[in-house]
Amino acid sequence: MLDIHDLKLSYGNSKILNGVNLSVKRGDVVSIIGPSGTGKTTLLKCINYLAKPASGTITFDGIRMDYQRADKAAIQAIRLRTAMVFQQFNVFKNMTVIQNVMDPLVVVQRKSKEEAREIAARELERVGLSTKQDHYPSQLSGGQLQRTGIARALAVRPDVMLFDEPTSSLDPELVGEVLKVIKDVTSSGITSLLVTHEMQFAKNISNRIVFMDRGVVAADGSPSEIFDAPSNPRLAQFLSSEHTLQ
Amino acid sequence: MIPELLSALPLTLAITFVAIVAGFGLALITTTFRVRRVPVISQLADLYVSYARSVPVVLQLFVSFYGLPLLVILIGGDDFLTATIAAMVGLSFYHGGYLSEVMRPAYLAVDRGQHDAADSLGYTFRQKITRIVGPQAVHIALPGYGNSIIYLIHNVALVMYIGAADVMATAHLIMERDYNQYQFPTYLVLAVIYSILCLIAWLIIRAFEVRSPMYATKEAPVRAALMPSV
Ligand SMILES: Nc1ncnc2c1ncn2[C@@H]1O[C@H](COP(=O)(O)OP(=O)(O)O)[C@@H](O)[C@H]1O
Ligand SMILES: [Mg+2]
Repeated sequence: MLDIHDLKLSYGNSKILNGVNLSVKRGDVVSIIGPSGTGKTTLLKCINYLAKPASGTITFDGIRMDYQRADKAAIQAIRLRTAMVFQQFNVFKNMTVIQNVMDPLVVVQRKSKEEAREIAARELERVGLSTKQDHYPSQLSGGQLQRTGIARALAVRPDVMLFDEPTSSLDPELVGEVLKVIKDVTSSGITSLLVTHEMQFAKNISNRIVFMDRGVVAADGSPSEIFDAPSNPRLAQFLSSEHTLQ
Repeated sequence: MIPELLSALPLTLAITFVAIVAGFGLALITTTFRVRRVPVISQLADLYVSYARSVPVVLQLFVSFYGLPLLVILIGGDDFLTATIAAMVGLSFYHGGYLSEVMRPAYLAVDRGQHDAADSLGYTFRQKITRIVGPQAVHIALPGYGNSIIYLIHNVALVMYIGAADVMATAHLIMERDYNQYQFPTYLVLAVIYSILCLIAWLIIRAFEVRSPMYATKEAPVRAALMPSV
């Protein structure tokens, strides 16, 4: 349902993405792993046009866009059908937890306040934040902020969830509560792309692993292909340096 | 003496009020063009801000007082300009330029991630500004805004140089008429009047600051102290 072809992007003189190809089927849970600075975040951002590639194409169900002729309608259509969860949470700081979840429904999807509130309450219950719904972000822990971010993303009923290192900014003791929610989300069948350094977790929840290295997809396969028998030497080296896998 | 001084207060307040309103509008427009770079217009906006911030305010008042009539004649109008109007225009431009340099950093101080989140959810630029980035920028800008209002109130005292009859000019008239016998008490009363004006402005800004949702802390949801030490 999502095809990315030959995506290229540079910041100034540094080439970040050097022709990324990625294709995701409906229901896939794809974990993207790889060293820091290889462009994993940038790749997710390109899907939503938060980063602007120099060239390449994206196909999302019926929507097709050439990044050299980026068009507003296609960008908006893709944005409405994907939802992103950020490493730094990016919860709206001027809104309470429930307002964060309701606002996109009211403002972008033009739902009534009542309907938005109902949906928001349901999603907040799902991520275990019902008791915090009237708190402001400054009053929450990192884990609670990230669960707010996830509820906000789920509430828009996206076809694809994009998680960018959702637990990397969290204190170790808060990682578990967020991983639990993500596992619940991905096992519900929603197509997901997850950038993560939690190798064991990636192995458990994904049906596919993509290894990115120096701006390209360097390996792509099932969890056992990637983790148990890494054929790519850079991948083997990366995995041993992560040494999170038993 | 005091009633006489107070009789000039409405003019001081009127000039201040016009400059606050017009200056805010000017600052908003100027800031918009300074953050969304548009060729030529953005450069003009930069130029205007550096004029407002670097030219002494007295000089800006003279520029307005002597320059506006020329402008009016140039576009073929009658010279209806008074010192008061020149003061309002001059101070509006001063305040607007100064305020833009409060608004722009406040806008830029809003976390890039807030833009990313709003964009990825499909907010239009206008929706993003009015619902998310704007309110956060306002919160960041409030202390600087308070200062800019206080500077404005101080600078209104300069309008006497172009002959507008504000409290300061009136005080001088009174002192001269009394053969300069009561200079100290007159200045003292003036000082009190200005202090009260600034205090009121500060209290209003402070109330907005405290009411902002971003003021909420872990301990006290939203309703923290309204009256800290002045
Ligand atoms: N807005 C930007 N401007 C300039 N360089 C950037 C920007 N965003 C990211 N980069 C650079 O692009 C490279 C890839 O970043 P990123 O996609 O965040 O990597 P990853 O998520 O894989 O760690 C990094 O070297 C980073 O410094
Ligand atoms: Mg990253």
